[in-house]
Amino acid sequence: MEVKQKQHEGMVKTCHRKKMFVSILCVLLALIFVSGRLVYVMVLRSSYYLEKAEKLHERERDIKALRGQIYDRNGVVVASNKTVCTVSVIHSQITQPEEVIAMLVSELGITEETARKRVEKVSSIERVKTNVDKETGDRIRAYNYAGVKVDEDYKRFYPYSTLASKVLGFTGSDNQGIVGLEAKYDSYLAGTPGQILTLTDAWGVELKNGSEERDEPEKGNDLYISIDYNIQSYAQQLAEKTLTQKGAKSVSIIVMNPQNGEILAMTNAPEYDLNNPYELTDNLLESQLETSKMDLLNNMWRNFCINDTYEPGSIFKMVTATAALETGVVTLNDQYTCGGSTTVADRRIRCHKTTGHGTQTFTQTVMNSCNPAFIEWGRRVGTERFFEYMGKLGLLDKTGVDIAGEATTIIHKQENVGEVELATMSFGQSFQITPLQMLRAASAIVNGGNLVTPHFAVKTVDGTGSTAMEFNYEIQSGAIEEKTSEMMRDILRQVVEEGGGNKAYIEGFSIGGKTATSQKLPRSAGKYISSFIGFSSVDNPQVIAMCIIDEPQGVYYGGTIAAPVIKELFENILPYLEIGSN
Amino acid sequence: MDRGKKKAVKRYFDYSLLFVTIFIAGFGLIMIYSTSSYTAQMKYGSAEYYFKKQLIFMILGFAAMYITYRIDYHIWHRFAVPIFVAALLLILALIPFGSEANGATRWIRFGGIGIQPADVSKLAVIIMVSSAVCSFGVKLKKFRYVILICIMTAGVQAGLIYVISNNMSSALIVLAIAFVQTFVAYPGYKIYIFLCSLLAAGVAAIYAWITSMLKSGKMTENFRLNRLLVWLNPENYATGKGFQTVQALYAIGSGGLFGKGLGKSLQKLGYIPESQNDMIFSIICEELGLFGAICVIMIFGLMLWRIAHVAQNAPDLFGTLLVAGVFAHIAVQVVLNIAVVTNFIPNTGVSLPFISYGGSSEVILLAEVGMVLNVSSKIRLES
Repeated sequence: MEVKQKQHEGMVKTCHRKKMFVSILCVLLALIFVSGRLVYVMVLRSSYYLEKAEKLHERERDIKALRGQIYDRNGVVVASNKTVCTVSVIHSQITQPEEVIAMLVSELGITEETARKRVEKVSSIERVKTNVDKETGDRIRAYNYAGVKVDEDYKRFYPYSTLASKVLGFTGSDNQGIVGLEAKYDSYLAGTPGQILTLTDAWGVELKNGSEERDEPEKGNDLYISIDYNIQSYAQQLAEKTLTQKGAKSVSIIVMNPQNGEILAMTNAPEYDLNNPYELTDNLLESQLETSKMDLLNNMWRNFCINDTYEPGSIFKMVTATAALETGVVTLNDQYTCGGSTTVADRRIRCHKTTGHGTQTFTQTVMNSCNPAFIEWGRRVGTERFFEYMGKLGLLDKTGVDIAGEATTIIHKQENVGEVELATMSFGQSFQITPLQMLRAASAIVNGGNLVTPHFAVKTVDGTGSTAMEFNYEIQSGAIEEKTSEMMRDILRQVVEEGGGNKAYIEGFSIGGKTATSQKLPRSAGKYISSFIGFSSVDNPQVIAMCIIDEPQGVYYGGTIAAPVIKELFENILPYLEIGSN
Repeated sequence: MDRGKKKAVKRYFDYSLLFVTIFIAGFGLIMIYSTSSYTAQMKYGSAEYYFKKQLIFMILGFAAMYITYRIDYHIWHRFAVPIFVAALLLILALIPFGSEANGATRWIRFGGIGIQPADVSKLAVIIMVSSAVCSFGVKLKKFRYVILICIMTAGVQAGLIYVISNNMSSALIVLAIAFVQTFVAYPGYKIYIFLCSLLAAGVAAIYAWITSMLKSGKMTENFRLNRLLVWLNPENYATGKGFQTVQALYAIGSGGLFGKGLGKSLQKLGYIPESQNDMIFSIICEELGLFGAICVIMIFGLMLWRIAHVAQNAPDLFGTLLVAGVFAHIAVQVVLNIAVVTNFIPNTGVSLPFISYGGSSEVILLAEVGMVLNVSSKIRLES
């Protein structure tokens, strides 16, 4: 019995040993199984999960790139950057709230109520004021109050505030160009923003000693433009002065090199303050209160010389004369007798001199700006060739100037042009072009027949100071013949010396030009645009300038009010440019 | 003669098991500090908050281990029923005294210490099953007695745990412990092979059904089914129920071969909530890599092998079953925990023995190891 029991026990024991062995085998197998699963997740799927995890942990923060500066042709900075500060408070870190409030009030000039609201607001970070100048920011930092944060940032800064505002344009809150050259050359000026990659915990708090990847921002390239600071500021002063004197709506002056299209100055008075582009200028505030502010602002930023069209009036007679001479339908000695008016298809068109100019040579008809004579010259040219010459002189196309929003020519379809239309077009009416188109055509007429592309940008310069990009502009040569150009220069010289443009004559300087007085539509309103184009020297034109006075009060003849403006301009810039003295 | 006999008998002591246990517990403490310091600093202003508490539990645990080592394990046979009843009462005490967290009532708090009755329950079942098997003796050759024991011991405890504290994982672990113990006790294999095949077939059938339902888009809203859906496609539920799983996978996957280095986990910075608890293994993977993770698994393997060795050589059946129970307790939790963390099986709260943060489980597990050491010390070495 006892033996049996022992045998039984022994049998049971081996059985338990075996079972335990099976158990540990199963467990080891299971451990190998889960290890296999680990290998799968940690080796085969590792890159997938790693990427997902990194995306989860990383926060990107942009670092603004410094925007490139804009220089005039002589290296004067016309658009730059300045350091501004943003003052914020972090509620949880503030230890001396009353002192902080008092400091904010005295330094930032805000009311105590506002300061208290910001300081006592329970938020992670509360912005108190942006665009605080650097000195104030430094002073606030010097207080060393816990929970007050001063962040530095860059802001576009225009040292001459209104200088060439409608050319340069300005930038928005993210430092992106909005209008003008700032918009056109934004991709060059903007630079490449940098990035900070930081690791954060689940609550988005940046880790103090987490590895930080930093992509340095790349400063934008500097832009050199053809504007000459001295000429621009003088032209601008002159335009502002004329605007006030004549009580005009606006006064524009363009100064260009007719040989290559470089624009030395372009002003549209009134200009606006580029550092406060959203503040309306006074005369806009007075007008139309009903229009929305945005419309008024867009109007304020508008560059009339490029964005708007007008009827060029008598200045356009340069084009008609050129076409007539080059097609050979007239010679310089052809004569026309003006009786004060002429009849075209039953319509009587009057000359501005109602008593008539009498018998004139071709040259004299230009000097007198005689409308009936030009109706005759236009008639001789004929519609087809008239359009052909407008095309050759670039008046049917955009100029290609490097500012966005260029307006296009408004003109009758060629097939719809009858006798009356041709007659009015001959002296610059019943179609519209931009002032810059007119100036470009005039340039081609006086420079020997080369159609230039008016432009501002010359080159970009990168951070190392070397030229990154040189801008080249098309010059279409042979628009008209050199011979014709020479004749036209001589005629236009006579216009200034003895004709309608004599108020632009400067003793000792070689100047040519043409005046215009265009009646605005509707004709019954009695509003005028007075303009004048002058160039120097006559033999080798290096500068061409245009003045347009929109809606002058009182005397409105171009020869009387616009020509003296160009005279005054030339008196100053011709010696400066060393051009045109005899 | 008595003296002579005593001198001749060499007592065994499993030093390997002791050192492996100390090593794992120490390693666990380091990982608790690593995983919890950042969030503890944020929440309690002290990076050592969890570390200090776990250190105290560990000291208590080693004290418990020493006590159970010194107590002759046969005493547990006598106290099996009182312990079993006490464990049941503890579970019942959850009803008035339990504190609720995440929709489940699992804790009873005494002052600053929380006790999980489920942990006590595991120890009680280990002792009770061993005791019952020995009491039944040869009757156990009939499988219906095996079933009876399982239901009367583990079944009762698991049922209460499941019903009262809504803690399915602990209930399953309790059942698994009894299953392994009776498997070791019962002489036959066939019935177990049959049961295991049945279980495997059942799991396969459910899996097939779920995936086909998923394809046909006929899914109904159901809590348990939802858990399975999350398991199949955790990233579709990444912001909701799959959050923990997905975050754990991110941690494991970003560990790679050798990990980011101890202390350098990013996922523990709040991405994995309470990463010192059930998901601690994912942080081990992230910081120590596949290499470290496999090392941890191997050390658990070593520990289990030593425990199995003691079970095989225990002087009597009661000792064998006691140790087999401890073996099952640790093995099941290790395997389930790693399987959950790697999303091999649906997410259910199983802590990693000796490593996961938690007072009562640390103390109970170390006490169980003490019991095993006591059994080992009763092994006679015959020269």
